[in-house]
Amino acid sequence: MAVALTSLRRARSLTAPQGPLGVLAAIAILAAVLALSVLIGWLISGLISTAFPGAPSSVVLICMAPVLVLLLLLALRLFPWMQSWYYLVPALVFLIAFTILPIVLTVSYAFTNYSGTNSGYGDTSVKTPVTVSADRLSVTFSRQPDGFTSLQSFLGCVLPTCRNETVVLYDAEGAVPVNARIESLEGRTLHLTTTVADSFKATDGTRLNAIRAVGLANFREIFGRASTELIPVFLWTVVFAFSTMVLNALAGLILGVLLYNKRLKGRNIYRTLLFLPWAIPSVITIQMWVALFNQQFGVVNKTLGLLGVPAVPWLTDPLWAKVTVLLVNLWLSFPYMMTATISALSTISDDLYEAAGIDGASRWQQIVNITLPLLRTSFTPILLSGFAFNFNNFGVIYLLTAGGPSVPGRSSTAGATDILLSWGYNTAFTSSGGQNYSVASAIAMIVFFLTLLISLVNFKAAGVFEEARR
Amino acid sequence: MTAQNTQDSPPTYVHREPSTLRKALPWLVLAAVLLGIGYLIFTLVQSLVGRAPSLTIYTVKGGWISFLLVLLTACGVLALTSLIGQRLGMRSTGRQVRYLAVLGDQLTHLLLILVVLVAVYPLLYVLLAAFDPKNSLFAFPDFSNPNILYKSGLLPKLGGLTFENFGKLFDGVTIPLWQVGLGLLAGASLGALLVITLIERVRSDTKGLRRHRGMAIQVLVVALVLLVVFMTPAQFQGQGNESKFLLSVRNTLLVSGLTGALAILLSTTAGYAMARLRFPGRFQTLLFFIFVQMFPVFLALVAIYALLFTLGLVNSFTGLILAYSGGAIAFNTWIYKGYVESLPESLEEAAMIDGASRWGAFTRVVLPLSGSMLVFIFLNQFIGTYAEFILANVILTGVEKWTVGVMLRSFTAGQFSTKWGIFAAAATLGALPIIALFYGFQRYFVGGTVAGGVKE
Repeated sequence: MAVALTSLRRARSLTAPQGPLGVLAAIAILAAVLALSVLIGWLISGLISTAFPGAPSSVVLICMAPVLVLLLLLALRLFPWMQSWYYLVPALVFLIAFTILPIVLTVSYAFTNYSGTNSGYGDTSVKTPVTVSADRLSVTFSRQPDGFTSLQSFLGCVLPTCRNETVVLYDAEGAVPVNARIESLEGRTLHLTTTVADSFKATDGTRLNAIRAVGLANFREIFGRASTELIPVFLWTVVFAFSTMVLNALAGLILGVLLYNKRLKGRNIYRTLLFLPWAIPSVITIQMWVALFNQQFGVVNKTLGLLGVPAVPWLTDPLWAKVTVLLVNLWLSFPYMMTATISALSTISDDLYEAAGIDGASRWQQIVNITLPLLRTSFTPILLSGFAFNFNNFGVIYLLTAGGPSVPGRSSTAGATDILLSWGYNTAFTSSGGQNYSVASAIAMIVFFLTLLISLVNFKAAGVFEEARR
Repeated sequence: MTAQNTQDSPPTYVHREPSTLRKALPWLVLAAVLLGIGYLIFTLVQSLVGRAPSLTIYTVKGGWISFLLVLLTACGVLALTSLIGQRLGMRSTGRQVRYLAVLGDQLTHLLLILVVLVAVYPLLYVLLAAFDPKNSLFAFPDFSNPNILYKSGLLPKLGGLTFENFGKLFDGVTIPLWQVGLGLLAGASLGALLVITLIERVRSDTKGLRRHRGMAIQVLVVALVLLVVFMTPAQFQGQGNESKFLLSVRNTLLVSGLTGALAILLSTTAGYAMARLRFPGRFQTLLFFIFVQMFPVFLALVAIYALLFTLGLVNSFTGLILAYSGGAIAFNTWIYKGYVESLPESLEEAAMIDGASRWGAFTRVVLPLSGSMLVFIFLNQFIGTYAEFILANVILTGVEKWTVGVMLRSFTAGQFSTKWGIFAAAATLGALPIIALFYGFQRYFVGGTVAGGVKE
């Protein structure tokens, strides 16, 4: 007893184990605490929901929080060297629950056939009347399901006896289906492993649209159609991100240099007015531009009409739609680039210009030989992060064109202005994409690896790793 | 001279003449880019040639020639006025003023005015459309009117402007008197904040103003919190989505405010630990934070929805806020870490010598010093959440839970049921709080945003 106590005390007084061992130990302790609190919270919420059947399922979160705090305090008593980690715990818990967990789920979806139809529920389109035997252990289909020659092919059985497959039973209302495991199959009669509850009046039965693992089939599908979807969409994504970056930087640079001119009267007024596109939430302004760029009624075409230009198909022609996306994105983000330019310019010492002025350099020469070279250091990270941001700039594409207009010869989920991310979104969430969640998850993984690549270059240039290591 | 010595001395510059190819490369790239742009413009123009003028648009044949002439005339007038200005300036001050400098400034003004016009007119147009019951965002222009601005539809009929569109947004809404009072109070304090900001810009001495500023912010926050918390869906009984617009503003403020607060709660402790504490695993955790945020959240949408569905949190603000929280952590932690590193460490050391614990040093010394950074984190998260659309659209399924973005989308989506007049009114009202916040807190906002990228 005494020995155990002293050894415990010795363990408590220990400083943090150094090196990789310390990292692993800390992660193991945190993971254990988290897992334990999830388990206990789940058990308590189970008790609560049996006592109060109406309790919402979010009760599990409310039960988990105090348990987690309690266990964390306990762990701190046992391992005082964990103290530093506790500053990170709130962020880590939220990150794991609402970012890592969805990512893990998404990655796992990418290797299944999960979709709007294969969603793990019964296939209601081929419901067939059934009767349940008196002992509640077998189910008989009253006829062969339409379009199928045997129950084996209908249920998609692996074994001829359909052992371990699932049949879904519905009552007359069809609201709450019951899944039943099959023991064996005899003609049109299924023997079940467990009895069907007496209170359940089964009238129809159908097969289960199970989510099955399909290996790399989703990736094979994506790369199989690469020439009509992946490659053009990827190219446009790169062109979009790159030209947005260049256009915005040019506009911001020109306006910034013009507005930094201290002699210019009223430059604060110009600056304040030019801030407006940045100040208004983009969810509002992008939808505004949809109206303004309308071919028949939009004010843009009305203005161009005054200049004698025929009505431009801004949003309906594949090529023009790309121009429109770039223009709107330019309007949205030039104020930021302008502000960045002005801030960067204010870090350049006036002495340099003075010296150049004494040496007889013109304003243009000063800009080319002093301003631009000095701006390069502070502009590189901004440009690179702009590229990375626009590579995944889903909002502007979705709200402006929703990826359209469609291009002949390509599936409707990959329209003329679709970037990789919106292509994935269309695949998952529009009816034309068939709500193909698994292919969308596979696209998400591809996008993730591309983003990773871009960001690595980006971080290297911005010195993020050096800053993190410091 | 030893090898050690040469390593320490700064590298001396040795001029090397770049090769011909290296010198020609930028010009070759430029030429290729120009060729590409030229080809693009040619294709775009070709697609327009021969199109019949649209029936709904008033077209002036060769209008661009007159426009160019007007511009040229303006330049000519400016050249003349610059000359007069230069002479007058030289005579009154007696200093040498270069003509080209004056002309350059004048032409800059002309260019900037054009840019402002192009950038801001669309907003003005939508603002006017909000007051136009005839739905000028989507209407035939009045061809019979002699005034060219009306004829082309560039302006809605200024005489016919009413509050009809706004009226529809408040149809069937009951607001008790105390809520009106609170709303007015919030508006007044926001106005005061803007005025103070304006005065600060003009005057250099701002010591006395700081107290008023703090008071205005406090009143604004308290009034808004009371309003947001005590406004209920039962107050909105009108027909149609648009009558619940005010409720959607309230929902958005609630969600954005709580997300902003959560972002501060989660990222400050983490950012402090990353900046000041040294423990095994710090660098790895930081890398983990950075890389996790690169996964496109939109595409984890199915998984997030499935997760929230299991927890019974679909169509609830809690679910939406929790879904946002993951995306709020990494960036803000990084920003706050940078800020703490810019503070002198000696302050905390002094506090800890006086007996404060690490936690005490953080809460009593570092947190009070990081006010402006916390304001930035909150505002950035607040505005970002306010403008978020995709997650809100998927998670919030009931009209009474909609945020502003989802509500606005319901006005504009759909082929034949678009309500552009109401959209314009709602957009105006929905944008106002953010514009006011942006300009009221511009100092924090611009400083913080740019600080991330621009390094001295």
